Amino acid sequence: MYVGQSLPRPEDFRFLTGRGNFVDDIKPPNCVYLAFLRSPHAHAKIVRIDPKAALACSGVLRILTAEDWTKAGLGKLVCVHPMPFTDGRPMREVLRPVLASGEVHHVGDVVAAVVAETRYQALDALEAIDVEYAPLPAAVKTGSAIDDGAPIVHEQFGTNQINEITRGDKTATAAAFAKAAHTVAMTLTSNRLAGSPLEPRSYVADYSPQTDQCTLWATTQVPHMLRRWICKYALFISEHKLRVISPDVGGGFGQKVNFCVEISTVVWMARELKRPVKWTSTRMDALLSDTQARDHVSKAEMAFDNDGKILGLKVDTIAALGAYLSNFAPSIPGNSYPQTITGLYQTPALDLRVRCVYTNTVPIDAYRGSGRPEATWVNERLLENGAREIGIDVVEMRKRNLLKPSQFPYKTPVGRTYDSGNPPLLLEKLVALAKYQELRAEQKRLREKGVLMGIGIAAFLDKSGTGPSKQLSTRGGLHGGFESATVRVHSDGKVTLYSGSHSHGQGHSITFAAIAADRLGVPVEDVTVMQGDTDTVPYGNGTWGSRSASVGGSAIYRASEKIMVKATRLAAHLLEADVGEIIYENGLFSVRGKNLSISFAEVADAAYHGARYPDDPGFEPGLEVTIFYDPPDLNDPEAMHLAVVEVDRGTGRVTVKQYFTVDDMGTIINPMIVEGQVQGGLAQGIGQAMMEHVIYDDEGQLLSATFMDYAIPRASDMPALKSDYICTPAPSNPLGVKGGSETGTIGPPAAIGNAIVDALWHLGVRRIELPFTPHSVWQALRAAGA
Amino acid sequence: MTKVTINLTVNGKAVAAQVEPRWPLAEFLRDHLRLTGTHVGCDSSQCGACTVHVDGVAMRSCTLFAVQADGCDVKTIEGISSGNALHPMQKAFHENHALQCGFCTPGMIMSALDLVRREGYELSEETIRHNLEGNICRCTGYYNIVKAVAAGARAMRAGAAT
Repeated sequence: MYVGQSLPRPEDFRFLTGRGNFVDDIKPPNCVYLAFLRSPHAHAKIVRIDPKAALACSGVLRILTAEDWTKAGLGKLVCVHPMPFTDGRPMREVLRPVLASGEVHHVGDVVAAVVAETRYQALDALEAIDVEYAPLPAAVKTGSAIDDGAPIVHEQFGTNQINEITRGDKTATAAAFAKAAHTVAMTLTSNRLAGSPLEPRSYVADYSPQTDQCTLWATTQVPHMLRRWICKYALFISEHKLRVISPDVGGGFGQKVNFCVEISTVVWMARELKRPVKWTSTRMDALLSDTQARDHVSKAEMAFDNDGKILGLKVDTIAALGAYLSNFAPSIPGNSYPQTITGLYQTPALDLRVRCVYTNTVPIDAYRGSGRPEATWVNERLLENGAREIGIDVVEMRKRNLLKPSQFPYKTPVGRTYDSGNPPLLLEKLVALAKYQELRAEQKRLREKGVLMGIGIAAFLDKSGTGPSKQLSTRGGLHGGFESATVRVHSDGKVTLYSGSHSHGQGHSITFAAIAADRLGVPVEDVTVMQGDTDTVPYGNGTWGSRSASVGGSAIYRASEKIMVKATRLAAHLLEADVGEIIYENGLFSVRGKNLSISFAEVADAAYHGARYPDDPGFEPGLEVTIFYDPPDLNDPEAMHLAVVEVDRGTGRVTVKQYFTVDDMGTIINPMIVEGQVQGGLAQGIGQAMMEHVIYDDEGQLLSATFMDYAIPRASDMPALKSDYICTPAPSNPLGVKGGSETGTIGPPAAIGNAIVDALWHLGVRRIELPFTPHSVWQALRAAGA
Repeated sequence: MTKVTINLTVNGKAVAAQVEPRWPLAEFLRDHLRLTGTHVGCDSSQCGACTVHVDGVAMRSCTLFAVQADGCDVKTIEGISSGNALHPMQKAFHENHALQCGFCTPGMIMSALDLVRREGYELSEETIRHNLEGNICRCTGYYNIVKAVAAGARAMRAGAAT
């Protein structure tokens, strides 16, 4: 069995030797370059654009504005996951134009584009475009975006509110609060983040006028979706005339799912100029233009009985979606967030309201964790503060509230059903791994010495494996949730897999090869994995939401199974036996009780020779299967984190000393890969907790527009880490796997925040603001009078 | 823009080229010499993906102009090993799963080699973490990179001894 082994990755060699093939490495002959002029204002009318001086610059081929786009009769970007008001009214939708028309809505909004012979010529010409703006007041802060008198982002609505989503039972929750022995109330802000995969986005398009065929190399996690969006919504071209290739991609984290504003122009210009066109984002372009994430402000309250049992949860959230609706944006606060807000607890009553709002900021969309970190931050901060108010140890508090294994499948007050799990075992493992009692003793000893040590926990669930296509559509999705796989057995018995998933660091090659190799009974070295090319891979929904192993992997498993049915039938025919008599072991088909056998490779050879195959109706030569696997359900990875911090009372500086994770990701296919996902996710979670923060000033100017201003964890920022796992297999897929790559980002804000409050509780600190910079913690100390 | 002539050595080969004075060294290496293993991640010396060796010292090629490398000996990730054999540091990254998307990897390896040059073959975790502060990895959380650098350095000593 290869599943369960830490097999190394074959793709490492090209990256280690500098032979990766990233989009910006591609430079077709005769290539021209695009550059985009971005708005310096958060909100302004465009009075006039004068391209004359720019057109006179050397090497300039085209200057493009919204007028050119409109004249060409082209479309807009698309929001593929709308979320209407819960009462049925449609959301207030503003789709992003490819070039801003008449008005700009955030700093970085695209006003014009230049195509020139070289990148420098394009950049030089940008500076020569003369734009006159009439600035308008900007709505910047999420918490005040729907206050009376707030500047309006899109004036046609007269409000910045996009929708209103309610979940749970208001009356039951009010009753629960009325009988509560204790309540805890807090305002909780989830800081805005820039996902920032290290490879900036890049697109190269090459068009052949002879065949009317265009190839786009794109930094995307979803090549087929991207092709569909470009063809159907923006450029109105046929899908068979556009090939999207997503070669090596330097990290995605959800941010490279999106139909970004620059892409269509690259393809459009390649078709117009009949020359290859290229655009690569600078880091500043990325921070001004890549979709951002989180940015919630919530008023939240939790009610408890005398024993600390949760009676109810009330949450009222304002969620920024930025200046335009990005592809999946409304579904993050609208679906992912509500579905995980009660976490792993038995919360009998919920009253949740989410209002999504426009602000004059970069559009928000999915970023690793996507709704779950925001939910966990709310749920877990309330629970721990409740425990401390009531005077119950935080581990004991969780024991009293956690879901029991016997309660799964568990229907939450939001209406979602969790598939499987064992939260008490997660807690037991975490307490043992962290040596919780010893930590408490150490905390006491250090406290006597004046050292402020704190311990905080976060218990939570992820939600992954999107997801049954029909169920997805009932939640508003305008895209499928299936995954494709082709298993092609060659005539020598070696195998090529084609997967609609897309690895951009997650190591699908070895993971998928292991699944197929086990199922086909061939050596893993005999299996190669192909991905990321719409001309060679069947339509797939790509990689996001931790869906690749459970949906993409199951597709490969199912397709391999079908290969084996056919190969077994063919083997039986060749061995002149019944299928029921065939035994398959170690790559050999043999006949029970007889000394007759034939190898997998020999069967493959016969399949392609075509001289001898059974006369069964419909039996064809060849040994290849394509399937589109639509999973019957999502799956629910669960995890618990424990953080140990020390706080410097004088400066507010927090050091995360130790970190412990216990995950339930169901069956683990490749422990090395999964551990890597836990660790990498954790760095991003610690980033949100400790330093990452997209900051706009009151006028909407982006202050965090370089990596000198937007802090990302470095090697020295990471704490000592210990990880452990439990396994409750997912019931809905044949592998038993659950999503394994997002829990790391979900727990740290809550676990570290709880640890800081634990360290400072005796000084009167009850609240702490993300990210936990020295400034934030010092202010919390000062507010408490400490 | 007027171009100027530079003469330098890149991965052991003499190179003479006409460059614009405003071209970063990274751009010259990538776009003109087509050595695309050197990556640009931030344009501001923060992420280290563009790290190369100039006269044996690790430098950020995104904020060094190509003209500044005139007369220098430049080494990139492509010049670290030859054929299919991996350098011990590259091998250690593979064995320790110290890379995921692979974009930061060339810069990480160039920085790690410079660290070994400066600090020797026996590197503590603290030394490695401190010295890799100039290289951002967004995928791995650094745990396996730290292990790989320590292992790679020790393997280099074994190699140097034979």
